[in-house]
Amino acid sequence: MTAAAPLFSDPRRQRFTEFVANRREPDAIIRLRREAFDRFETLGWPTRQQEAWRLTDLSALQSITFQQPADALVDVETLPTLDGPTHRLVFVNGRFAPGLSRLPELPDGALITSLGQAVTTHPERIEPYLDRLPGLEQHPFAALNTAFWEDGAFVHLPRGTVIKEPVHLVFYAAGGDANVHPRLLLMLEDGAHATVVVEYRGQGRYLNAPLAELALGSGAALHYHQLQEESPQAFHLGAVQVRQGRDSEANLHLVSVGGQLARVDLAVLLDGEGTRCALNGLTLAREQQYGDYHVRVEHARPHGTSEQRFKSVLDGKARSVFDGMIHVRPGAQKTDARQTSRNLLLSKQAQAHSNPRLEILADDVKCGHGSSTGFLDPDAEFYLRARGIPATQARALLVHAFANDHLNQIRLTPLRERLARLLAARLALDLVEGESTP
Amino acid sequence: MLEIRNLHVTVEDREILKGIDLTIHPGETHAIMGPNGSGKSTLANVIAGREGYTVTEGEIRFDGKNLLDMDPETRACEGLFLAFQYPVEIPGVANLYFLKAAVNAIRKYRGEPPVDAMDFWDLVHERMELVKMDESMLKRSVNEGFSGGEKKRNEVFQMAVLQPRFAVLDETDSGLDIDALKVVADGVNALRSPERGFLVITHYQRLLDYIVPGQVHVLVNGKIARSGGKELALELEEQGYALYNEEPGRARRAAA
Repeated sequence: MTAAAPLFSDPRRQRFTEFVANRREPDAIIRLRREAFDRFETLGWPTRQQEAWRLTDLSALQSITFQQPADALVDVETLPTLDGPTHRLVFVNGRFAPGLSRLPELPDGALITSLGQAVTTHPERIEPYLDRLPGLEQHPFAALNTAFWEDGAFVHLPRGTVIKEPVHLVFYAAGGDANVHPRLLLMLEDGAHATVVVEYRGQGRYLNAPLAELALGSGAALHYHQLQEESPQAFHLGAVQVRQGRDSEANLHLVSVGGQLARVDLAVLLDGEGTRCALNGLTLAREQQYGDYHVRVEHARPHGTSEQRFKSVLDGKARSVFDGMIHVRPGAQKTDARQTSRNLLLSKQAQAHSNPRLEILADDVKCGHGSSTGFLDPDAEFYLRARGIPATQARALLVHAFANDHLNQIRLTPLRERLARLLAARLALDLVEGESTP
Repeated sequence: MLEIRNLHVTVEDREILKGIDLTIHPGETHAIMGPNGSGKSTLANVIAGREGYTVTEGEIRFDGKNLLDMDPETRACEGLFLAFQYPVEIPGVANLYFLKAAVNAIRKYRGEPPVDAMDFWDLVHERMELVKMDESMLKRSVNEGFSGGEKKRNEVFQMAVLQPRFAVLDETDSGLDIDALKVVADGVNALRSPERGFLVITHYQRLLDYIVPGQVHVLVNGKIARSGGKELALELEEQGYALYNEEPGRARRAAA
């Protein structure tokens, strides 16, 4: 079932034509949009005959006519907050909401602002960098995002700039079958340091197809957290692109708990010597939820280190997919690349698919991958019960222990604590204050 | 306090226990000795309520209550404790957190409020010294990466904190060197009291030099072949179990 309607009557093209006609943007940006839309048309709507989309069933989306998003009001109480000072940008239906945002002063030259505004105020900082990262050229939703993004966040830290307060980016979708395409462009120049928290939330039914581009110069360090807590009816088809310069360090934590269907395609290019990259992913899914990570880590230069650790906890008829590629280019000697995928099934109907892949074209590297899927250990459950702990609490404790190991990798305390509470609430577990498990 | 009457147990349709009778009163310590495969661990697991064991005949009463009707957590809350032969590693659950959850589960069962944090801390520290356990073990995940001796000490430590009324020690001596054995035995002996009963299951007489039982039972091929005083353990040490190995099947297996 492909959507191969003739071009001239294609409502999507018509929607695109109207969309760009109303954009007041530099020609270079409009040109990017047109190229991206053409790229999408060449790629087409993904089908399950394509290897990359074999397990992702998009048929539920295809029966829905998604709309260009409209302005919407949002209850401030539903927007997540982080304790402590933050640089906070809120987007509702993909549009910047300045009234809900808060931007403290920044060091000279640094910019944290709406991308939609920055393309006109600082085109010289955007045009050379937007849509330039490699890795997702074949991803149709990444192309659609470039064609259709209305707004998003632009974070630019010049050489040596370190901001301690986290950059908190909240993307809220207000339902109504809107198709939102929020964008993030983040550039850390040489030696810059930043901590970023991206949160996706919403209500009702909508399709969120965000794209984040994260570029790290030499010696830059990024702690990036992405929390997907979409509404239960929502579809999330996101993409994250990372390019790392020499000796840079990228730590990415991805948590996925919402949406009826959620997929993130993640492409990391280790494009300098001695780069370090850690990717941690956690999916909690239940009922009919589907959670999917497609990851490609590409080692292009020697002495790079990468570690992928992905976990899922699946209940009901939930399904998860982990497809992880480690690609080591010729010449990327002394690469140390590791990948693990661990899945915990809480019901017999739940399914986890794990597809580790290695392509190693250098001869002096260390690469390893491991994958495991299983139920809770009955011996461990009995051990806890034999000490008086009721069966439901014993199981919750074991699930918590499995998932909490992921949360402990997060150094940003307010976020880690919030996620611990979220996890405990999902498991109906009373955590003893100040004594969460290690 | 523990009465076992004509207990028959099968595992995967194979009869392992073939009619056990055993009564233990408060303040008594009984030992069960026997060769491998005689059914010692099956008895321990049935008392604690592990799945996979089918009681086809007989009963176990604990203070007059039908133990076999209770799930494992209820048995623990009623005051029963099993020191595991193979303590389970539970990554991600801190020892201290686990113990507090257990203490509070038992208190809740008794209708008591959660334990006061300071009282709990004092109790834990006092009991840690009893088994010469290092404080760092509290923060580590339950049994994860513990040596064989540390795991067994952790079992006795848990028992000391939970203060059960009746404890089954399932081969708590296996894999211990003599120093560790003494520490574990001292920990058990410190808990012995007129109100508390113990069932010590062991393959070797050595443990019984340190935890001296009132009665010794010899379990062979699913039945108690002989009962006697503590001197029976010494006799077994000298003569071994060969005297009791009369079942042809077992003898053949031993010869093979």
